[in-house]
Amino acid sequence: MIEVKNLVKRYGNHTAVDDLSFTVDRGQVLGFLGPNGAGKSTTMNIITGYISATEGTVTVNGVDVYDEPETVKKMIGYLPEQPPLYPDMTVREYLDFVADIKKVKKSKKLKMIGDVMEAAKITHMSERLIKHLSKGYKQRVGLAQAIMGYPEVIILDEPTVGLDPKQIIEIRDLIRELSNSHTVILSSHIMQEVSAVCDTVMIIDKGKLVLSDKPENLSARLGVTGLMKLTVKGDSETIISALNKIELITNIEEQPVTTEGIVNLNLFHEENDDIREAVFYAMCEAKTPILEMQTVRMSLEEIFLKVTNQDNTAELDPTEQPEAVPVEESKIEEEETSNVSDL
Amino acid sequence: MLAIYKKELRSYFTSMIGYVFIAFFLVIIGIGILITNLKGTYANFEYTLSTISFIFVLLTPILTMKLMAEENKQKTDQLLLTSPLSAGAIVVGKFLAVFTVFLSAMAITCLYPLILSKYGEVPLLSAYSGIFGFIVLGAAYLAIGLYISSLTESQVVAAVISFILFLFTFLMRSLADAIPADNKTAFMIFIVIILFVCLILYRMMNNMTIAVSGGLLLVLGLFLTYMFKPTLLDGSVSKIADWLSVVARYDQFNYGIFDVTGIIYYISITFLFAFLTTQVIRKKRWS
Repeated sequence: MIEVKNLVKRYGNHTAVDDLSFTVDRGQVLGFLGPNGAGKSTTMNIITGYISATEGTVTVNGVDVYDEPETVKKMIGYLPEQPPLYPDMTVREYLDFVADIKKVKKSKKLKMIGDVMEAAKITHMSERLIKHLSKGYKQRVGLAQAIMGYPEVIILDEPTVGLDPKQIIEIRDLIRELSNSHTVILSSHIMQEVSAVCDTVMIIDKGKLVLSDKPENLSARLGVTGLMKLTVKGDSETIISALNKIELITNIEEQPVTTEGIVNLNLFHEENDDIREAVFYAMCEAKTPILEMQTVRMSLEEIFLKVTNQDNTAELDPTEQPEAVPVEESKIEEEETSNVSDL
Repeated sequence: MLAIYKKELRSYFTSMIGYVFIAFFLVIIGIGILITNLKGTYANFEYTLSTISFIFVLLTPILTMKLMAEENKQKTDQLLLTSPLSAGAIVVGKFLAVFTVFLSAMAITCLYPLILSKYGEVPLLSAYSGIFGFIVLGAAYLAIGLYISSLTESQVVAAVISFILFLFTFLMRSLADAIPADNKTAFMIFIVIILFVCLILYRMMNNMTIAVSGGLLLVLGLFLTYMFKPTLLDGSVSKIADWLSVVARYDQFNYGIFDVTGIIYYISITFLFAFLTTQVIRKKRWS
């Protein structure tokens, strides 16, 4: 459906996209993941024909974007990073204009505007001026614009920015619904979003493809280890020697003591192994009661940080690293808990 | 194209700009009639149009400043350029919209000679040929304004640059008259112009070699002309200034002449700048 080959975009000496190649099949949802300035938007702008590539080709349905931009533009609906809205129009006027420039047939126009507003849940805002809408609603109007005319390919650049959690879930459902009949490319720097709706995730950093796989395979591909956080009452030496007997544990890391007589540990193990029971019995035998036990699944965030920071950590001052790690971890936990409440 | 036309036209009349333009336009024409036709007791309506031709310097920037600059600023150009619309359709739609606003003011103006004729003998044919000339002159200015608007993201910058440029075209002739017509002065002025051209060339292409070699070639040509055929440069500056002075062409209409070369000149300028605007839009893909 979409084929991108050896895409390069240079701005003077700066390379925004560096030799990117991928294909998206019909009905697939592809997620671009990457930090700010990774080249996600640039790639999307090239696919939609807004800017041209320095090198490489993009074909949609076998039609080259460079050779026949107008044919390709007909097949694509695009929501850019900043929704392209006219503040002085009402929502209905705006969508009417969009339907006109996307060459929607007059007979179908009225119904389509209604359907699109329904899908983006903005029907009750149809007579409001766009400049009076909140950011979330503006984003939805932008989304309505992108699906106007039901193009085969829908490209969304950070579609859930500025939305509240409820709206985020609604937009995700909408994207899932769209993926039944459309090919969708979306970008994000929020991992849950990508893992929730995408069939394939592409991690991009500094214009280069770092990793591309199904969301559930990402951790396996990276050799991610499992982690258990354990708080035990007792003497640290007895506890560690008892834990050392469990073969499944690959590494034990002692955390600083916060309360006297209570030990905090990080236990590392293979991603697919379950060590909970073994730890429980070991602690029973040692007569050291477990106060807290928590298994931490490495989330996409961690994979993301790990992958995109690889170059950075090598450059970092080694003394700075231990400080940086706990901060990242705490952030991850927070996001995980919020994730749970979202779902 | 029609969608763009409708959208632009609506935006002129949902905001104040369209009404303000027409109102000011009519006020100035009214004052012109008062001075020329009523107080001055001339029956020729084209005289009025000629006195108020400075109207374009003041009013067209207001009308054209937002045409493209606003799209660039709101990033709505992204919507237009990723929809199946050609750059030509966008420019033609926008130009026709702004031209329609101007025409609606001119339509009211068309009644004035008729009203005047109630009170005496008015040469209607020359009056309407004057109005026609005024319309094509306006089209040329609107196209230039559209082009300038496409170059920037800021309406204010677009308005100020258009204003300065229009003022320049307006004053060009008197400026040229003030410059000595001998070939030595012309030589100096051309050197300065070549320098400017090189600078612009460098800014646009980011290529030092082309800018410098182009400049040297031009200077060489100029120098050879100056050495071997200096008479060619006599009065050349004012000739060029005349050519660039958009308003100067309107004089013929003032004399009651239906000047076909003038009309062709204005229409050419309109097409040239509309074309340049499409090129600016197309160039965006390459930035």
